[in-house]
Amino acid sequence: MLSFIARRFLTMIPLLLGISVLVFILMAIAPGDFLDVARTQEDIPAEYIERMEEEFALGEPWHTRYFIWLGNVVQGNLGESWIYRVPVTELLWQRIPATLVLSALSIMFALCVAIPMGVLAAIYKDSIFDRVSSMFAYAALSIPEFFLALLAVMFAAQTGWFPTGGLSSVEHEFMSFWGRMADYAHHLVLPTIVLGMGSVASYMRIMRANFLDYIRSDFVTTARAKGVAEGRVMFVHVLRNAINPLVSASGFILATLLSGSILVENVMNYPGLGQLIFEALMRQDEFVVVAAVMMGCVMLMLGNLIADLLLAWSDPRIRLEKN
Amino acid sequence: MLLKVISYPYLAHLFTAFSLIFFLVSCKGDIPPLEREEHDLPQDAEVSSTEPGNYGGVLVTAESQQPRTFNPLVAEDAYSSEAIGRFLNGLTTYHPIKEKVVPELARSWEISKDKRTITMELRRGVRWSDGEPFTADDVIFTFKALFDQRYPNRYMGQYTIAGEPIEFEKLDRYTVRFTTARPYSPFLYVIGFIGILPRHVHLEAYEQGELLQQWSVRTAMHSPEEFVGTGPFRVRSFRPGQRIVYEPNPHYWRVDSQGQRLPYVDYLITRYVQDRNTETVLFASGQIDIASITPGDVVGVRKNAPLHDYTVHHRGPATGIRFLWFNQKPGESEAGKPFVEPHKLEWFTSRKFRQAILHGLDREGLIQSVYFGRAELLHSIISPANERWHNPDVPRYPYDPDRALELLREEGFELDGNGDLVDSKGNQVSFQVYASEGDDITPQILSTFRENMRDLGIRVRIRYLDFGTLVARVSRHFEYEGAMMGFTGGADPSGGRAIYLSSGRLHLWNPEQEEPQTDWEARIDELVYASEETFDLEERVGYVHQMQEVFSEELPLLYLVTPHAYVGLKDRWENVRIPAMGSVIWNIDELYLGQEK
Repeated sequence: MLSFIARRFLTMIPLLLGISVLVFILMAIAPGDFLDVARTQEDIPAEYIERMEEEFALGEPWHTRYFIWLGNVVQGNLGESWIYRVPVTELLWQRIPATLVLSALSIMFALCVAIPMGVLAAIYKDSIFDRVSSMFAYAALSIPEFFLALLAVMFAAQTGWFPTGGLSSVEHEFMSFWGRMADYAHHLVLPTIVLGMGSVASYMRIMRANFLDYIRSDFVTTARAKGVAEGRVMFVHVLRNAINPLVSASGFILATLLSGSILVENVMNYPGLGQLIFEALMRQDEFVVVAAVMMGCVMLMLGNLIADLLLAWSDPRIRLEKN
Repeated sequence: MLLKVISYPYLAHLFTAFSLIFFLVSCKGDIPPLEREEHDLPQDAEVSSTEPGNYGGVLVTAESQQPRTFNPLVAEDAYSSEAIGRFLNGLTTYHPIKEKVVPELARSWEISKDKRTITMELRRGVRWSDGEPFTADDVIFTFKALFDQRYPNRYMGQYTIAGEPIEFEKLDRYTVRFTTARPYSPFLYVIGFIGILPRHVHLEAYEQGELLQQWSVRTAMHSPEEFVGTGPFRVRSFRPGQRIVYEPNPHYWRVDSQGQRLPYVDYLITRYVQDRNTETVLFASGQIDIASITPGDVVGVRKNAPLHDYTVHHRGPATGIRFLWFNQKPGESEAGKPFVEPHKLEWFTSRKFRQAILHGLDREGLIQSVYFGRAELLHSIISPANERWHNPDVPRYPYDPDRALELLREEGFELDGNGDLVDSKGNQVSFQVYASEGDDITPQILSTFRENMRDLGIRVRIRYLDFGTLVARVSRHFEYEGAMMGFTGGADPSGGRAIYLSSGRLHLWNPEQEEPQTDWEARIDELVYASEETFDLEERVGYVHQMQEVFSEELPLLYLVTPHAYVGLKDRWENVRIPAMGSVIWNIDELYLGQEK
């Protein structure tokens, strides 16, 4: 088991190198640079801009800058954000908790809604419930997340039931502990639903399809023939088997949630990684962009690793070790 | 049956969770009033001339971006400067209502006969927000830091006059003297830009070469009490991407006529709202106290006014300018290609050609169609919002296609049989205009421009670029024919040097000339320098007016329109005085909560 994990981590290294080179090339091809904003301000002196160009090595070709950066990374230094003048790692850590909470909640929300719905849709195949839930699933899959986010903001503004964005209200720091928790929860409801909606639909379809496969299998007929209660057949025997593909699919979801959250966080004004990455991209704050993209990759690979481990745990037929 | 079995407890739990949230949210209550610390007033406390008010209240504002730093030496954007200005003071400040420089940390100043030496008396008895006394040492420390080669910053260039850094010395505990290489009348204005730093806080970092790492967003998150200042507020907490909460500085040096220390508000909260539309929604639903409103949103926002007791105030023309211009740069790129084709350069350097183009653009129509009448024609390089410096009597170019054709004929242009305009050598007149996709108004203006030019027989191609590409093209590669951009204006015309001077970096049509290449550019240089040497305000205004006349006569920039600015403000705030330009809550320390009406 340990050597399996170690192998997976080792394969990450060349991948991360390749991705960082790609990001540097893309940033070099992209027009303009970080100092464009300063250049158009009439009261910033030319000498200052020259000093900054020198300091950020903006005149150098991308490969020179890449190797400088790589040298620093090897020493454990991901560089400094040019916008904030703060180490990149520090900046990312400010935002990671908010995004992780949102992603985790969205996955939980998606699973809590999708599994029961998928199961019911399978059991009552071709019933009204199945039709309606399929329709819902297709609709949810085809609505882009940012549009859903806009609808959610409009909904919040119209009804006033939910805050129109953010993670906490202005009164937050003056509240009691439980008040703060409730405040967070209140703010998380809409972003969680928006971000989780797409996954609900796809999970539900996977769940339904697998459940249908297993309902028709022989062991179900055997169990029924033995006189096992219908509920037990469904929720112990069938569900246990049908859930495996869902576990492996959830490996990707961490990554898709991260990319989805860039849009959702910007529309819903949620102070997570997405907002930070978007700003860094627009301003071409190079080291932040590289670090953020690499972190996205690491999350994707960790997500897959965890999914594989979970699968091994939930399905005894799977072995990670070569014999 | 099965449906019931699994869905009942499940739905019930969900329901319980939701109702718990709603219950807790509904009992969260208001922000408690602030307990104020009592400290002696400084000897030189400034007494506000406004009506005395009462303590209390929370003012909530919104900004589209958060500060990138709280260190004045690092800050280069307006959002950081604004946050820094809440807790740091300069020596002087610009009073937007009186439209002149007024004392801040300097109590008074004296200008020597040769106008090169300015001796400043500092306010006595002022204390930093941590209780330490403020003295001339802090001022000297700040200027030493900003001229230190280890710490590159934007002020270094701004405080270098005629090639020489300004000199500064401490005369006694409360007196400092500045000397400039040449008389420089914007001195009192620009000297107020830099927030004076507390020496006792930063000395160690300064000596270790780590001054630029001080007071970052990290400090704001973990230990905002380290931001020691003399300003009206101190930072209570900062949450990146969400908000900053300020509380009054208990050592602030301004009081009201009843001896109450300002500011009146208990807390000032600025929320960070990335999207302009969201900010408007927040204001229209009563969640923030103040917001700037675009001309297109005014009607919609006013509808909600009775519900949330606010007013949308008209501020008059906006401070920025927006313009089109033609590349007049002679010479060729490194690849040996001329920046502008020679025959086109001939058009673009012709004054009458530029005047004709502006006469040919239906700007009056744009005001109606794009801004719903909430805008006015721009005639000068200084916006009419800047009443002190704006010259209303400059040459104007109203929409007049006949006059445009007449001017073009004088320059040898003719319409050919197909209705196309050709120059005296038979070249068909066409050019390309670059613009950034920035907002939804640019395309509307440019498509009108293209249609209007078609009426003159001119073919215009429009290309939209990413803002960075546009900037690189016009300021570094010079490979373009025409472009459209805008500038935000400042209060004193010295802020526009980089645009006006022929050696300027943003002298867009032909930047960074070694010697002025035309007579009128030489004339402008002369007027700018003259205006900076005289200390007589009337005389300065005279020079700046003349400069604007030259600009409007020669028209290197073809001015478009200037939209009107609107600001929404809740009615419960008293002592509000809305200036023509700058922040509406510039006197935030004097605002107080009025009686409920």
